[in-house]
Amino acid sequence: MVSETKKSKIDAIIRASRLIMRMNQANPASPKSEALYYKMLTSYYTCLLNAHDEGKFIAAHTVFFPSEILYAMDIVPMHTETTTWMMALFLGEQAEILSAGAELGLVPEICSPHRGLAGAFSLGALPRPDAMLWSNLICDNTAKSGELIMEINKCPGFYLDHPFQRSETEDKYFLGELEDMICFLEEKSGQKMDWDKLSKIVQRMDHQMELFREIGELRKTVPSPFPNRGFLQLLTTDYLCPGQPEAIEYLEALRDELAEMVRERKGAVSPERFRLMTLFVPPMYLMGFLEKIGQEYGVVSVVEPLFTRWAEGRLDPSQPLESVARKAAMIPERRSMYGPLGQEALQDLVDCAEQYKVDGAVYWAFMGCRHTCATVKLFKDLLNEVDVPVLTIDCDIVDPTINSEAEIREKMEQFFELLEDR
Amino acid sequence: MAIEVTQSNAVMLPTLERFRQINDAFPKTGEILEHKSKGGKVFGWLCTYVPEEILHAAGILPVRVTGYSQEMELEDGNAYLYINNCSFSRSCLQMGLRGEYEFLDGMVAGSTCDGARRLFDLWQYYIKTPFHHILTVPRKYTGKAHDLYYQQVTQFKEHLEEFLGRKIPDEQLINSIEVFNRSRALLKQLYELRKADAPPISGAETMEVLNASFRMPKETFNRWLKDLLEELSKSSITHKGRARLMVVGSVMNNPEFINSIEAQGGLVVTDELCTSTRYWSDPVVVEKGESPVKAISKRYLNNFPCARMVPSDERFNRILNLVKEFRVDGVISQIIRYCVPYAHDLPLLRDRLKEVGVPVLALDVEYGTSGSGQIQTRVQAFLEMIEARKR
Ligand code: SF4
Ligand code: SF4
Repeated sequence: MVSETKKSKIDAIIRASRLIMRMNQANPASPKSEALYYKMLTSYYTCLLNAHDEGKFIAAHTVFFPSEILYAMDIVPMHTETTTWMMALFLGEQAEILSAGAELGLVPEICSPHRGLAGAFSLGALPRPDAMLWSNLICDNTAKSGELIMEINKCPGFYLDHPFQRSETEDKYFLGELEDMICFLEEKSGQKMDWDKLSKIVQRMDHQMELFREIGELRKTVPSPFPNRGFLQLLTTDYLCPGQPEAIEYLEALRDELAEMVRERKGAVSPERFRLMTLFVPPMYLMGFLEKIGQEYGVVSVVEPLFTRWAEGRLDPSQPLESVARKAAMIPERRSMYGPLGQEALQDLVDCAEQYKVDGAVYWAFMGCRHTCATVKLFKDLLNEVDVPVLTIDCDIVDPTINSEAEIREKMEQFFELLEDR
Repeated sequence: MAIEVTQSNAVMLPTLERFRQINDAFPKTGEILEHKSKGGKVFGWLCTYVPEEILHAAGILPVRVTGYSQEMELEDGNAYLYINNCSFSRSCLQMGLRGEYEFLDGMVAGSTCDGARRLFDLWQYYIKTPFHHILTVPRKYTGKAHDLYYQQVTQFKEHLEEFLGRKIPDEQLINSIEVFNRSRALLKQLYELRKADAPPISGAETMEVLNASFRMPKETFNRWLKDLLEELSKSSITHKGRARLMVVGSVMNNPEFINSIEAQGGLVVTDELCTSTRYWSDPVVVEKGESPVKAISKRYLNNFPCARMVPSDERFNRILNLVKEFRVDGVISQIIRYCVPYAHDLPLLRDRLKEVGVPVLALDVEYGTSGSGQIQTRVQAFLEMIEARKR
């Protein structure tokens, strides 16, 4: 049984997303996709809330995890980072969970989503998982987070090892890892892998990836139809519901709305003055602010190369597990955030700036994220070569006490002035 | 109150002095320059998962890339790697950007942690050493992980052969394995001496020996170390402290840091550092009919693990064994700021040590620190606490 407190916290996320969904439905001016996004969130968290009551097995997992496998096994996934931060954002409990992380002995240099994650578990603020799954995709924080969570929850766990580079042997190794993880899950949950179901999920995932690419293409248009606030929604869709019907429904509606706007030459901001590239992720609590400042200054983020630019390639439902492995190698984050930073990834960044007709870039330098900050200078050098200025803003993606909205506004305004003068 | 030394440090053992001179000349040590002057190649390596034997068998002098053994200005390191990457990687990059490693013909790294992999990325892009290679290092010890690592080491060897335009024969590899194993065995002997109640060598002196081992040909190092062991066996110098300590955590190769602990009476008798025990602890064992490359890859993946490996228990158990073997009274964990692998392990390690009644002093440091006033105060308090427990 999920305890009442945990129930009420997850319940609060559900109530909040249901409310937004209804508000969107009631507002004729609001795009249909918005309501569908919140419907998807509601359904994800309702499953999690009811999982134990329905005798289902909950597997907690870190970001960029192949949860397609969990869905195919009828195991309920709990995306730890997203759930923690949805909770923090909807309930405003960042400080509490971060200090609980500190009490466990996690130093402030560990990225806040992971400090918060361990803190949230230690407070009992998340449902107790029946198993913990984690991997090194994408950083040392994800790679090192699992064992403490296993200890806190007294649950078994499986670490999924992603090879750093790609070759036949490395791909085979990863496939073996997935097979071992399935064996682990079968043993711990008593559930069997349903290969037909996985195949269907892969088929939908293939379509989902196409939708992401189509949305990316539509955003190349001047003016760009996609709003600044949409970035996190795109991310969470793949994080929470890969290959799920709700995700497809949302993305298809979004794609159609964007296509319609392109036909009508309507932009997300009007007039569109500056087209930005977003590097890494803006602080989640600033989404509303960025939307607002975008409207005020005619600024729109048109591409997020680290997160929304999907590699080309198809998945093959007749080879479902191989496809899950292939997808892990095709996610945008794999290209420049994991693996050696080769010429191809760097060239892609430059191509992106050109293809999306970018005027400037904003690098959100999240101090907890070492490996992305290590590319700030390199990316800046490369973008400057093609005449794209870069604004770097030090921040924390979840902790609003690090820098104020006013400071960020000032920096952005100065940057817009610089763009204006060019 | 410093550790008690039966004879003043002024009477330094001659070989210890030679090791220290090597370190004083770092990074361009006489031994490195001599190798270069004879037309030999010198490669830098970045972490203990890089199999040095492969380089050695190719006639290359492997040199461990580190920063200076002291805190340094990191203006470029900060600009290129940003301030939130560990100061170890920033120090290495700083030296690279300043041209202090310009003698390197190659750079080899492992995908061990974010700090190291990004250092490698930027090194490749901005420093442009003629040869670059990074090995995928699995984080597990499974049979499949060993197969993968074997393939990685093989691929590294092939890449090197292509670069050099010649093959590396198995006999050379066998010879290199012997040279490196000899070094490991001698270092083990040195550490054995530290198990004594009053060891003939201090923790800081041991670190000088280790540092030199990264910066000179192994054959010479082995000869010198043998000399040192002989000198130690004849010497009447002993060191005795208020408590027997072990240092664990991030990469650290600064004798001054150990000195600052020993200056207060805490005798450092062992460690779990990748620049010390984890560097030499396990030999390469070539099973009958096994290829030397296979034996090398097996050893490097199975070696005393870094905090990057999963499960962490393997590392914790080895630490607990050392605590027992060296009769450790307290553990000093020094973790470089933004060194995530070690920082994540600390709460779990602390619990494991608590179970066996060993207290931990957790220090947040910068690479190269020599132990500031605040650190000294904390060490002092830690030693007092240990003494009070003993009473
Ligand atoms: S924010 Fe960066 S450090 Fe934290 S989990 Fe994500 S990728 Fe890793
Ligand atoms: S293990 Fe820690 S200190 Fe060493 S390179 Fe990695 S992050 Fe830096």
